[in-house]
Amino acid sequence: MALHSSFDTIQTDDLLALAERKRSDGYRFVQMLCVNTEQGIDALYSFMKGDRLENYTICGIDADVETVPSITGFYLAAFPFENEAHDLFGLRIADIAIDFAGNFYKVAVDKPMTVISPAQKAAREKAAKIAAAKAAKAARGADADLEAKLAGMDPEKAAKVRAAMEAKAAREKAAAESAKHDELERKLAGMDPEKAAKVRAAMEAKAARDAAAKKGGE
Amino acid sequence: MGKATVIPFGPQHPVLPEPLHLDLVVEDERVIEAIPQIGFIHRGLEKLVETRDIHQFIYVAERICGICSFGHSLGYAETVESLMGVEVPKRAQFIRVILHELSRIHSHLLWMGLAADAFGFESLFMHCWRLRERVLDIFEATTGGRVILSAVCIGGVNRDIDDIMMKAIIDKLDSIESDYKEIVDTFLEDSSVKSRLVGVGYLSRRQAEELCMVGPFGRASGAAYDCRMLGSGAYGDLEGFEPIVATEGDCYARCKVRALEVNQSIAIIKELAGKMPHDGIGEKSKLTPPAGSQASCVLEQPRGECYYYARGNGSKNLDRMRMRTPTSQNLAGMVKALEGCDLADVPMVILTIDPCISCSER
Amino acid sequence: MGNFKLGKMTLRSLFGKPETILYPEQTRFQPKGLKGQVVNDIDACILCSICAKRCPTDAITVDKKDGSWSIDRFKCVQCGTCVRDCPKTSLRMDSNYPAPAAEKSVDTLKKPSARPSDASDA
Repeated sequence: MALHSSFDTIQTDDLLALAERKRSDGYRFVQMLCVNTEQGIDALYSFMKGDRLENYTICGIDADVETVPSITGFYLAAFPFENEAHDLFGLRIADIAIDFAGNFYKVAVDKPMTVISPAQKAAREKAAKIAAAKAAKAARGADADLEAKLAGMDPEKAAKVRAAMEAKAAREKAAAESAKHDELERKLAGMDPEKAAKVRAAMEAKAARDAAAKKGGE
Repeated sequence: MGKATVIPFGPQHPVLPEPLHLDLVVEDERVIEAIPQIGFIHRGLEKLVETRDIHQFIYVAERICGICSFGHSLGYAETVESLMGVEVPKRAQFIRVILHELSRIHSHLLWMGLAADAFGFESLFMHCWRLRERVLDIFEATTGGRVILSAVCIGGVNRDIDDIMMKAIIDKLDSIESDYKEIVDTFLEDSSVKSRLVGVGYLSRRQAEELCMVGPFGRASGAAYDCRMLGSGAYGDLEGFEPIVATEGDCYARCKVRALEVNQSIAIIKELAGKMPHDGIGEKSKLTPPAGSQASCVLEQPRGECYYYARGNGSKNLDRMRMRTPTSQNLAGMVKALEGCDLADVPMVILTIDPCISCSER
Repeated sequence: MGNFKLGKMTLRSLFGKPETILYPEQTRFQPKGLKGQVVNDIDACILCSICAKRCPTDAITVDKKDGSWSIDRFKCVQCGTCVRDCPKTSLRMDSNYPAPAAEKSVDTLKKPSARPSDASDA
């Protein structure tokens, strides 16, 4: 007998039916866990019978809008985990048999497991930069092709194409910038006012610093 | 019928030094309901996986709990190894299991001491802990640490146990065994112990299975489940493994299961020591877990089944590491066992679950 | 009958040698390989700072320019990673525990003749 573990994906709506089926099949509830991903929160439920350990994942739950049903109706043993998911990840779970309403863990920060540290943020940005550089390199390759093509064209047409392309790039850049700004605003709206004010001030200071640095550089 | 009163219990040293808080709804002397609360010492160790690389996290993992310290580092290493597909040499697996069983002995002896202390048998408490000290001496001689062993690395173990040392361990275990027999006799036969434990905090087998209880707590109610049956690692090389099960489902049965498991662990160590292979102890793996890979694993710790889950992201750090400890699984069972018991029996019931709250909060 | 099962053992320990010792007058036997504290042989050390990078608690800091290697013994958890990963085996684990202290401090070792900055190539 050796351990066989399997991973499957399910939808939020199927969760209760799954729990009921597992219970009537004589499975044991093992645990429930959350993973904080870029797309949202993954909730993973594990059941076990004999040597079969089955993990079912609900992917990318948006904790702000979605609510997950509680399986404590079928497995009472799930209550510590569901309360934990609420307290540490901010995942909303409806109708937990023993609901602590956010007081199960006494933590200083709200949803501590979804906080991203500066070091992590730097790492992510670095990864994004590398990816961007790669993309740019690929694009440059494409650009070179284009240049070659343009060289073959008559000058007037080439100038038109070039202008159109530049305009497109500028548009894209502006769109990206505004999206970033919107995102930030949305985040700030979710924070408590004092903190938001602090973050805003810090950002303004940073912008000013950047501008100054730019000036100094020029 | 009396009026219902709520008695707060804990978190400062309720029976054992673990920050567990219970609101006991009491009617006269009878507990109607118990609402557990934990969360006083959440340290965010699972979050640390994002800033410590996979090799450094072993040292974080073994600091989750002082008693099942080795178990946590072993479970973590096994999970990450299966994430990366690392093969561990047989000898390293044997050493891991031997150390794990030794830590089971020391954990159970510690628990038995605490139980004796809880029912007011101080000399028994001292004798249990004196025996436990000898196990810690073995750890000290083999790994260099008493509680935090730092013996496992991803891909093997850090230090070999040579034949001379193995023989010394067996000799030491023999000396423990003879003293231990007297202690077990006291636990299982002494009338003062029996009158304190028999029939207290009863849970039936059906309840145990419905509440998904694990470890000695579940086995005392007749749920014959022990992760060691799955035969992962060197457990697969044993002649046979039968979990120790009792059917009474009360505090006495939980005590009995743990008491007999110590003997079982000693037998396992002796058997493995006799057929130790010689294929090296492995070395630190140089791989990194691939992006998007996930692995889960279960391991029988002294307190019961512990579940591990890891998700890699292609870098030296993991995306997520999760340890589901046996205590959090048994909280539901504890609530049920407390319902209807006498107020004076509450400490005994809580203790026989062997809760490790710092473990379950991480 | 079931009473006084432990009597024999208790009496035996009453007349036997005590299990405890009078610390600090007496010290315990230290087995070989006890993880006490990390010791660096600074003459063999090449200040490659692998130990500082691998340390899970960031207890070790290496200053190559200055030629110094320092360890914060209050951060060190004696895991032995640095000792295992040291390419020149200049680090070793000593079996004496660091002495208790009322104030935190950092132990710094200086290389006698600070080599130029290309020491890492050695």
